Amino acid sequence: MRLLEGLRLNPSKSFSGRVRGERLTQKKGLSIEFADYRNYTEGDDLRHLDWNVLARLETPILKTYRDEEDLAVHLLLDASASMAFGDPSKFAAAQRAAAALGYVALAGGDALSLHALPLARPPANFRGRARFPRLNHAVQALAPEGQAGLTSGLRHFANSNARVGLVVLISDGMDPEIVSGLRTLSGRGHEVFFLQILSPIERDPDLEGDLRLLDAESAPAVEITASAATLKAYRHNLNAHLESIRQTVLRQGGRTALISSDDSLESLVRGVLRQAGWART
Amino acid sequence: MSFQNPAALWALLPLGAAIVALYLLRMRRRDLRVPATFLWPARTDEVRANSLFQRLRFSWLLVLQLLALAAFAFALARPQLKQEGLIGNVTLLVVDSSASMGAKEGGLTRLEEAKRLAAEAIRSAGAGDRIAVLEAGPQPRVVSALSQDPTRSLDSLRLIRQTDAESDVGEALRLAAALAEQESSARIVLLSDGVFEPIEDFAPGRAEWVYRPIGSTVSNLAIRALGVSRTPSGHQIYCAVAAWGDAPLRGELSLYADGKLFDAFELSPEPGKEWGRVVPLPAGTQILEAKLKAPGDALAADDYAVTLTDPRAALRVLLLTRGNLFLERALALDPRVTLDKAATLPEAAKPESPGPAVYDVAVFDGVPETAVKARGILTFAAAGPNSPVVVEGTLTRPEAISQEQHPLLLGVSLRGAYFETARKVRAKGPSRTIATARGDDPLLVVDDTGSQRRVYAAFDLLQSDFPLQVGFPIFVANALDFLGGTQTEGALAIRAGQTLALPADRAATWTAPDGTETALLPEDGLWTVRDTSLIGTYTLRSGETVRPVYAQLRSERESSLRPASELRLGDRTVEGATTPAQFADFWRPLLLLCLGILAAEWWLYMRRS
Repeated sequence: MRLLEGLRLNPSKSFSGRVRGERLTQKKGLSIEFADYRNYTEGDDLRHLDWNVLARLETPILKTYRDEEDLAVHLLLDASASMAFGDPSKFAAAQRAAAALGYVALAGGDALSLHALPLARPPANFRGRARFPRLNHAVQALAPEGQAGLTSGLRHFANSNARVGLVVLISDGMDPEIVSGLRTLSGRGHEVFFLQILSPIERDPDLEGDLRLLDAESAPAVEITASAATLKAYRHNLNAHLESIRQTVLRQGGRTALISSDDSLESLVRGVLRQAGWART
Repeated sequence: MSFQNPAALWALLPLGAAIVALYLLRMRRRDLRVPATFLWPARTDEVRANSLFQRLRFSWLLVLQLLALAAFAFALARPQLKQEGLIGNVTLLVVDSSASMGAKEGGLTRLEEAKRLAAEAIRSAGAGDRIAVLEAGPQPRVVSALSQDPTRSLDSLRLIRQTDAESDVGEALRLAAALAEQESSARIVLLSDGVFEPIEDFAPGRAEWVYRPIGSTVSNLAIRALGVSRTPSGHQIYCAVAAWGDAPLRGELSLYADGKLFDAFELSPEPGKEWGRVVPLPAGTQILEAKLKAPGDALAADDYAVTLTDPRAALRVLLLTRGNLFLERALALDPRVTLDKAATLPEAAKPESPGPAVYDVAVFDGVPETAVKARGILTFAAAGPNSPVVVEGTLTRPEAISQEQHPLLLGVSLRGAYFETARKVRAKGPSRTIATARGDDPLLVVDDTGSQRRVYAAFDLLQSDFPLQVGFPIFVANALDFLGGTQTEGALAIRAGQTLALPADRAATWTAPDGTETALLPEDGLWTVRDTSLIGTYTLRSGETVRPVYAQLRSERESSLRPASELRLGDRTVEGATTPAQFADFWRPLLLLCLGILAAEWWLYMRRS
């Protein structure tokens, strides 16, 4: 928690909020952040008149300020069966990351909603640092058991009436249609922060012999002979898949990061939140 | 190419079909759960259809496995190729080292040529071929046992030395046949000129026989006869030289009396003819030697002859028998004896035949004793009118209970010998009983009062274990001494290669003509000397006593040097062959090929994994 203190999520876009918060918006409002000048009109608050301009030009000019609202942060945690792989499992790493990112959001005064993909249950909403224990409890209560695809969950979320805001997606991205799902999110106006978690065995599988590969979710089984050529082709496909995800997210103005399931929380905070600019102080 | 086990080829079909069927069957794969399968390549050459059978696709693994199976099946079928050469898988090389193999042809003796051929054959042997080398000399022996080491076989050839004696090729071949009997496919190769006695009573066994004749007809002069006879005008020497071959040879025969040259003759007998001379014997001569020198003479071993003028130094013995191996061997052991064997009395031995007595001793073994012209007569069982006994009946299992001190019984004991039956006899005239059985029945009767000495044994040797006892050869030697005259302590003349047994009382040294010395220890009262394969003068040194022994070849068969084109083995005839054909197995290379293919298949499999 000490590492997370003082950090605030750093979306590149600004989103309008529902209640006053700590995030500056494009709307004019009450804050100390100067926005523009405009002519005085009747009924304006005289406290915002620029008295210096009035004295020199004898024209009443009013100073306007940016408004501060809250930010809707949607924490989408992939709880599909494929997340159960790895040692330590990808889901355990995802739970740690979700708790950390959730803490940062709560500490920043953002409106946080936790969604478990696929969306089998309604989201849990949290606001304020004091709600972190409940958030943590909700995250730890999840289990990787979903059989529906990740992309269908993303599309379902995009079509919901969720407030447009920052979507923090924590997943392994193991869905051939995920690029489409990410585009749907962006099309809805969300800014996507995609934290992708893979286990070491996924990135460099050590397989031998003739195998029938059973998909953890619903994809058909594949029979292979684990030859050098097969492994080489797998690595090529994996890299192409990861690159297409990265390019899609970047093109939509989002951020993406790839971590290993055995990476520590400290490396997540330092490498992703601080250096990659996902959060700012 | 032919197959020893062609049935193995039938295994190709079911096994090949089984391998192909395994490729047709869908491979059962190990299930493995993964996060996602869409990233794994759908390689059509690796992915099998989801059914029991699948379409057969080309696979190098399948090709290599079928090739390995084919190589294995062919190896099991034991293919063989017809090749030419002396060496087979298991070969026993029998090298004749008899005197005739010393004949020189084209700068090499026949034995050297035989050893050259043997060495050539050994060098041409394959890696797995096993070779043994046997020497067919006077004493057949295995020079090197079956071995895959060609160096050892080649070294053993050097141990085969030329002899000046007749060889016992029959025994050597029997030895080879016995060794080959333990092998499944053995070949016995005889390298010889074929100059030896026909081999009777021979079972060739299952080995393949190859006779490689060596030599051609060459010219040879040989001393055929050298003897002394008493004539009214004194002692006369008769010597004869025979010529063999196609080309006439000139030679010079020198006669030596006690080592001193006293006469020499130039001679040039026609091929196939004989040259002879009779010359007076110098007075007092003990040892008469003849040496022949003839340029171009093929064989040197028969250019030397020796005879001892003392009539007791040589005994010509006539054995009248229906067959008694024990007695024949005991008589042949005596170096003085020249043995003739017959079933009936030859004309020359009958008293009415003209001339001096041909035989010194006559031995009647189971043949009724008759009058014979000889100095002494030894009779076993069947007495005759001239015997010193009168037969009165038959004794059953007589037991010898007493024997006199008599030269005939020195070192001999009849007590303990078993006799199944014996003649019940009574000594007649001046004859004397020297051994008696229980009941005072004579077992041995001697008569040395007349012009002929006689010994009568009442028992039949073939119905007794006396021939198996140590005392039997001593008894025979004593009998020959008694009947032929007292045993000489002087020189002996023997035939080269003859095994010598002499009464012994202490250690002695035997020195061969080439200077080789052998220590002799008495065994059962005898020195037994087997190393007499060279002609020349041997010496037996025992304490202060030095006894010369003269060895000579004197073999018309060896001197003829006529190579035999075929080999008689009992009822079977083996034609001589220069390059015999053989079937060479090559299942080992096929098996190695099979292993190589399997290794390649494994490498390919690992590389693809």
